[in-house]
Amino acid sequence: MRRSPILRRLMATSLPVALVLGSAGTTAVAEPMYARNMSTYGLGGGIDTPTAETLPDGTLGATVSWSDYGRRSSVVFQALPGLTTVLRYSRVEGINDYRNDGYISDRSLDLRYQVLDEQGWRPAVAVGLQDFLGTGVYSGEYIVATKTVTPSVRVSAGLGWGVLAGKPRIIDNSGQGGEPNVDDWFRSGAKPFASVSWQVNDRLNLVAEYSNEEYVAKYRSGSAFQQGDEPDNGLNLGAYYSFGDSYQVGVYSIGGNTFGAQFSILLNPRQAPYPSGLEKAPAPVRPRPAPAADPDGWSGVWAQDPTAQPAIQTALGDAMAKEGQILESMALSSNRAEVRLRNNRYINQAEAIGHTARLMTRALPPSVETFVITSTTQGVPTSSVTLRRSDVERLENTEAGQIADASILSDAAAGAPGLVRSEGVYPRFRWSIKPYVDLGIFSAEDGLTHEVGAEARASYEIAPGLILTGALRQRAFGNIDQRGPGRRDPQTGQPIRGEHYTPEEYEANPALETTPEGVPRVRSDTRMYTGNKSPVIPELTLAWYAKPTPTVYTRVTAGLLERAYGGVSTEVLWKPANSPLAFGAEVNRVKKRDFDQLFDFRDYEVTMGHVSAYYEFTQGFTAQLDVGKYLAGDKGATLTLTREFANGWRIGAYATKTDLSAEEFGEGSFDKGITLSIPLGWATGQPSRERVDANLRSLSRDGGAQLNVRDRLYDRVRDSHSVKLYEGWGRFWR
Amino acid sequence: MNGALKITLAAALLAGLAGCGNDSEGTGPFGILAQTAGQVVAQRSAAEQPAAPARSPEDAAAEALRVNPGPLIQAGFENLGRTTVMAMTGQNGAMRTYMTPAEEALILRDGMLVGTRGLGNDLSVAEPGTESLIRAGAAGTGTRIMRYFAGDGVERPLQFTCTVGAGPAPGVTVETCEGHGARFQNSYMVQGGQIAVSRQWIGPVLGFVTIQTLRP
Repeated sequence: MRRSPILRRLMATSLPVALVLGSAGTTAVAEPMYARNMSTYGLGGGIDTPTAETLPDGTLGATVSWSDYGRRSSVVFQALPGLTTVLRYSRVEGINDYRNDGYISDRSLDLRYQVLDEQGWRPAVAVGLQDFLGTGVYSGEYIVATKTVTPSVRVSAGLGWGVLAGKPRIIDNSGQGGEPNVDDWFRSGAKPFASVSWQVNDRLNLVAEYSNEEYVAKYRSGSAFQQGDEPDNGLNLGAYYSFGDSYQVGVYSIGGNTFGAQFSILLNPRQAPYPSGLEKAPAPVRPRPAPAADPDGWSGVWAQDPTAQPAIQTALGDAMAKEGQILESMALSSNRAEVRLRNNRYINQAEAIGHTARLMTRALPPSVETFVITSTTQGVPTSSVTLRRSDVERLENTEAGQIADASILSDAAAGAPGLVRSEGVYPRFRWSIKPYVDLGIFSAEDGLTHEVGAEARASYEIAPGLILTGALRQRAFGNIDQRGPGRRDPQTGQPIRGEHYTPEEYEANPALETTPEGVPRVRSDTRMYTGNKSPVIPELTLAWYAKPTPTVYTRVTAGLLERAYGGVSTEVLWKPANSPLAFGAEVNRVKKRDFDQLFDFRDYEVTMGHVSAYYEFTQGFTAQLDVGKYLAGDKGATLTLTREFANGWRIGAYATKTDLSAEEFGEGSFDKGITLSIPLGWATGQPSRERVDANLRSLSRDGGAQLNVRDRLYDRVRDSHSVKLYEGWGRFWR
Repeated sequence: MNGALKITLAAALLAGLAGCGNDSEGTGPFGILAQTAGQVVAQRSAAEQPAAPARSPEDAAAEALRVNPGPLIQAGFENLGRTTVMAMTGQNGAMRTYMTPAEEALILRDGMLVGTRGLGNDLSVAEPGTESLIRAGAAGTGTRIMRYFAGDGVERPLQFTCTVGAGPAPGVTVETCEGHGARFQNSYMVQGGQIAVSRQWIGPVLGFVTIQTLRP
């Protein structure tokens, strides 16, 4: 389907491939220059060469490209309108390192920044760093300009360094890699490259390019490897076909003698199949009758009747339950009502608050003019929205900003005068039995791994804030088997690919639980916890949440905290409802669990924790800095940057550096990764707070390892605080 | 446990993907996807049924008028390809909310469309600057702002420039709007300031709705 310009405006940006489809004519002028095909490196562009094109802001995509040169799996994220980031996992053919496999597995990270967008006669200009963390097989830099010549033809030309100039950097594999070699950038001679792309029709795009890439890898040891066959010449040709709204397939030739194929999928968080959701229409506002028609209701004498509040509270609680909300407690006087609401259904807290405000107009006697709607999480109040009932009546179904202006957001105290708990809310027991699927996708050595089974889960909320949670898992089948960490070559100390200690060997020799460098194995033996044929207990905890002051939250979690550790985790967080800044601290005393994941522990024990600062920037960007001590006892810091959308999409990147040396830390020198969280409701249209989460970490090593305790305070508390609440406020009247 | 049995067990587990439990809001990814798939299947099979006793819109309207004593409208959603009777579920001043039995809503202000709910591509709120012209049956131009729940979760406005004038048939006022490369024309039959029958544009995905007042 060709998207009309109006839809594109509405989506703020549309799907890139859909835009690819939107050929020529209507779109070329005002639109930013979005890529029409993905390159073998997984960015918008030519075949092997880059262009100055971007993807629509926020686009998340993946490209897999195969040829005799190798297989590149790239994940791309358009982090800012001009900034494209790529994380790539490659199998590079033809290279023999110490493993002597005839190929290597390589991770690489690219950045591209579009300095100037196309305007009038001026082409778009971008500068890029390819494989810039450490010296790698694909390391190179470029400056490139792209110009629209006719609506369907674009020409790009640029200067490349490193691999892009056919001068691969010398790879020094004695170090641990992972750190940028700034001194090499834009050095050692540039060569020009160029490409032209022709949008034949809505679906087909043809590309021809001149590239200097020679597909050679050179090592410090003096050895050089030709990946695949040396290209006969610099001319590459490609054809790309887009289908559906988000898919593209392509075939290409490199130098006339090597052929390849690729597949791309691109998603835009901004484009949902049902943007407004499919949830039922809310119950509308019921305006109050004239005072003459209900003198008792308006006078407030009803408040003297002790049966009034229980009856009203039951009716309101029932109505809220139908809309997925729990009325935890309520304080009612003749002119003011405070309700404490737990939102179990909507991604945007504003939608839950909007529904509740409307239900209050239907349930409360006319003399009640002030509505206080307090959001809670884990039994603890997080913020209060105060509204005048007459504003709710007057502004129903108007632009959402108006009711926002008429409301006040404030901190909520743990208790409030006159608060009566709803009957039947506590204790609350919930249980479920459902299947689970664990997938490992990006493991360089194992390929795609999976485990499928059943999980029983129960939670018992004894009182507000006091929650007992347990889970029991039984594996049914899968290929994630139990095994020890990788063996090392006794002479070189280098890991031997594909060889691991057997579980028996590993358990029999306690000395193996410390690496040869003396670092306790806190995560690198994580596979010892997998592949259990008998039931395991992933978690069994008692958690206590409290709020000593209106801006301070606390958590204590004790028990089997996660798969590999048990103990006690404590946390405190300062987060005023109207502040973008928050501070927190966490201290954990944990012991390593036994590999059977039942109630036994191993010898390793550690006290660890960190202090954290959080800041919410504009446009959905948040930053978190943790400084402290990690599971292996190493000290350091983690910086996390996250971009989130009002619809609940979250995409983040983090990096951890600790005082372990590069050798102790292991390959990669520091831990880094990407987190992704997609709300299911975005894909299905059904209202739900469920999410699909993924954590792409380039390496799982013992340095910088964090404890995986569930329900840390910050993300729990923030849903109803100013930045996130107002970001999603547009759904107040939904 | 032998291999075959394991696989059968797993298949059975996967078949019952929604799982079970008392946690209705937390059915998990599989639960939600299974529900969605179930609904899609239900819709498909419903669509494939040769609409057995094909009730005409007139029959449906007559039936509704007999059963429901309150205000009723009949709405034909052109892009959805269905016509339904909707009953008033709330009135706030001149603004009325009409709902289908499935609790999808049209929000009208004296017959002028101001919003929809529950249709997946809803109009959040319309601010027709041309409303007074239309009610007066006068000619002129005005600005119409249509706000939508966009895919990124934000309410986004689209602004149109509209011209109001007499339509081809007597008693019909037409409003022609343009903006963002789109053009649409709403038609209203106004009787004493009330819009009795109309054809109004909801948005780019839902297209037009034809609204007929069955009982004011």
